[in-house]
Amino acid sequence: MMRMLKTAALAALAIHLASGLAFAQEKLTMWSRSSSEAFMPPLIKAFNAAHKTQIELQIVPTAEMVQKYAIAAAGGSAPDLLSLDLVYTPAFAASGQLEDLTELAKSLPFFAHLSKAHVGAGSYDGRIYGLPMSADASVMLWNKKLFRQAGLDPDKGPTNWAEIEQYAGKVNAIGGDIRGFYFSGACGGCNAFTFMPLVWASGGDILVDGGKRATLNTPQMRDAIALYRGLVEKGYVPESARTDPGANFFGGFATDKVGMSPIGAFAIGNLVKNYPNVEFGVTFLPGKTGGKASFAGGDNFVVTAGRKKMEAVREFLTFAYSLEGQTLLAKLGSLPTRGDIAAEAVKSLDQRYLVATEAMAIGRTPSSPVYNDIINSSTGPWKQMLNEVFFGKDVEGSLVKAEKTMQSIIDQSGK
Amino acid sequence: MTQSQTSQGHTPRRRGARLRRKQMVGLLFVAPAVLLVLVFFVVPLGMAFWMSLHNWPLLGRPRFIGFANYANLMQDERFWAAMRFTVYYTVIVTIAIFAVAFPLALFVEKARPLTRFYRTAFFLPVVIGFGSASLLWAWLMNVDVGLFSPLAFRLGLTEKPVNLLAGFDTTFWSIVVMVVWKTAGFNMIILLTGLQGISSEVQEAARMDGASYGQRFRRITLPLMRRTIALALILSVAGSILAFDQFYIIADGGPQNSTVTAVYWIFSQSFVSFRLGYGSAMSMVLLVLLVTISVVQLRLLRTPEGM
Repeated sequence: MMRMLKTAALAALAIHLASGLAFAQEKLTMWSRSSSEAFMPPLIKAFNAAHKTQIELQIVPTAEMVQKYAIAAAGGSAPDLLSLDLVYTPAFAASGQLEDLTELAKSLPFFAHLSKAHVGAGSYDGRIYGLPMSADASVMLWNKKLFRQAGLDPDKGPTNWAEIEQYAGKVNAIGGDIRGFYFSGACGGCNAFTFMPLVWASGGDILVDGGKRATLNTPQMRDAIALYRGLVEKGYVPESARTDPGANFFGGFATDKVGMSPIGAFAIGNLVKNYPNVEFGVTFLPGKTGGKASFAGGDNFVVTAGRKKMEAVREFLTFAYSLEGQTLLAKLGSLPTRGDIAAEAVKSLDQRYLVATEAMAIGRTPSSPVYNDIINSSTGPWKQMLNEVFFGKDVEGSLVKAEKTMQSIIDQSGK
Repeated sequence: MTQSQTSQGHTPRRRGARLRRKQMVGLLFVAPAVLLVLVFFVVPLGMAFWMSLHNWPLLGRPRFIGFANYANLMQDERFWAAMRFTVYYTVIVTIAIFAVAFPLALFVEKARPLTRFYRTAFFLPVVIGFGSASLLWAWLMNVDVGLFSPLAFRLGLTEKPVNLLAGFDTTFWSIVVMVVWKTAGFNMIILLTGLQGISSEVQEAARMDGASYGQRFRRITLPLMRRTIALALILSVAGSILAFDQFYIIADGGPQNSTVTAVYWIFSQSFVSFRLGYGSAMSMVLLVLLVTISVVQLRLLRTPEGM
């Protein structure tokens, strides 16, 4: 009797261990940055509920993501999956940290419809290392209530730069602490997102030759600068914008005291939810005489090099790109990244999201392994130049100097 | 070997053995401290130097490049601009801290009503971390929702709220004021211990000889406080040369990168540009500068020349 009991206990233990092992094989770890906290945990929860494969998600503070991952990677404890700010994908891929997803990506039936900007930023040396996870596109917001007060058509946003200036002036004329226009004047990342598209929509570019050459000193850039300088000089922009490092990127417009602000689509959901009194419209960031452009931001999905878990990865991506996954993401604050079902995914949402999904479809992302260095860095050339040219005296000198610095950083990175 | 020698245990060999044993025991006593210094100072320093000889990206494999990082930093205008700014800041802020801390120390030295209250009040900002203090001041200095600009405007001192962070001078001097507010109390306490270490008899004797307050301060107080002043100076200078938090949090290095300190630039190169090797090389240069300045200060303040 005793022996039988022992045998049974051993067998039970063996089964338990075996099932535990099988279970462990289907368990993946994933990191995502804190700015995705609204939509990534629910997405993973929905995936886990419907699949045998389980993903354990950890939210990491946005500012610490890269350092934390680098340390974990050096110690061999990096997560299997990562939702990574897409501008970092080239730097990560270049350093050999990421698994090649080319075959998997091309085998997805809807591959052609995935956000071009994400896949572009996720590609390095002809191979695909990153696929779209979440997205945000830059758009222009205008305050309908202030437009009405200023005698403007509250249902028509600006479609070119002359209109931006004209509308800003009219809203500004309301007086008091009402201002026509807001942007974060001391924030490199914010202005890459919202100012670069003005240049793109006018036919200019910032990085050319596959990211190998910086082109700041162009007629389109000088025109765009002249627009912002004009807005500042005429007093249409609040004084605090000059030194805003991005802390007020959203808050500026949410005060209900600003006529227009170029911003990300994330602001739509945030305003609707937290600032229901702000009546606003959404339109495209226009070029000098019309046209439209947008910066496609967000995260790329990447896999740590050497993790052979492609079947589980395929399972997860299939779910994330399904109508269910895309709708869930859209509902919670990320734009859909699969173009063919984007309109369907935002159907039940605020209709202003439609403009944002269209902006996403035309969105661009400059791709460079030194993106952080030249654009995002608080000590970098892009941020310094913007503050000098918007508020300083020597536009030409600043442009020349910044272009030179950017180029030398790009050149040095190859060595 | 005689009986008496043996009984007293004074043979040279035995004495040597005892000495060695004593030394061993002594070594054991300091071992924990030595270990701490080794693990937390010597080894990291060695590793930092080793890293400085590599192209060491945050991600990916390091590559040995000899002294190329050092050659590069010689050409790095931004690094030298940051060094110049750091030295400028150190000189100004150290003078400012002393100009405030010394009178404070003299003020709270004498026992009079509320002395304890004053001492505590002046010391209070020291216990706040630099990070939190910087965040507090970033808000105080905000042009829209802060204290200084809106207050000055409401009192009619300015025509419109002044954005303190928009120009170099206003940013720089605001941060100097913040640092003095934050650290003067600490220097006050150090100087106070020096003041209290001066025997009252010496002061009284001088007073009976008819020395004025100014004479006593110059001829007795200052010379007798040399070591205390040296300590306070070295701590203040070392702290200022490593300044980072306040410029990062309040000014973000702005306006237009004009307040980027050496440590800020090292941080930025290491963790924003991911060049850990280069960051280490710059840290080495900064360390050499810091050690040199400290040695010079010690020499100047320790030798009693002219006394």
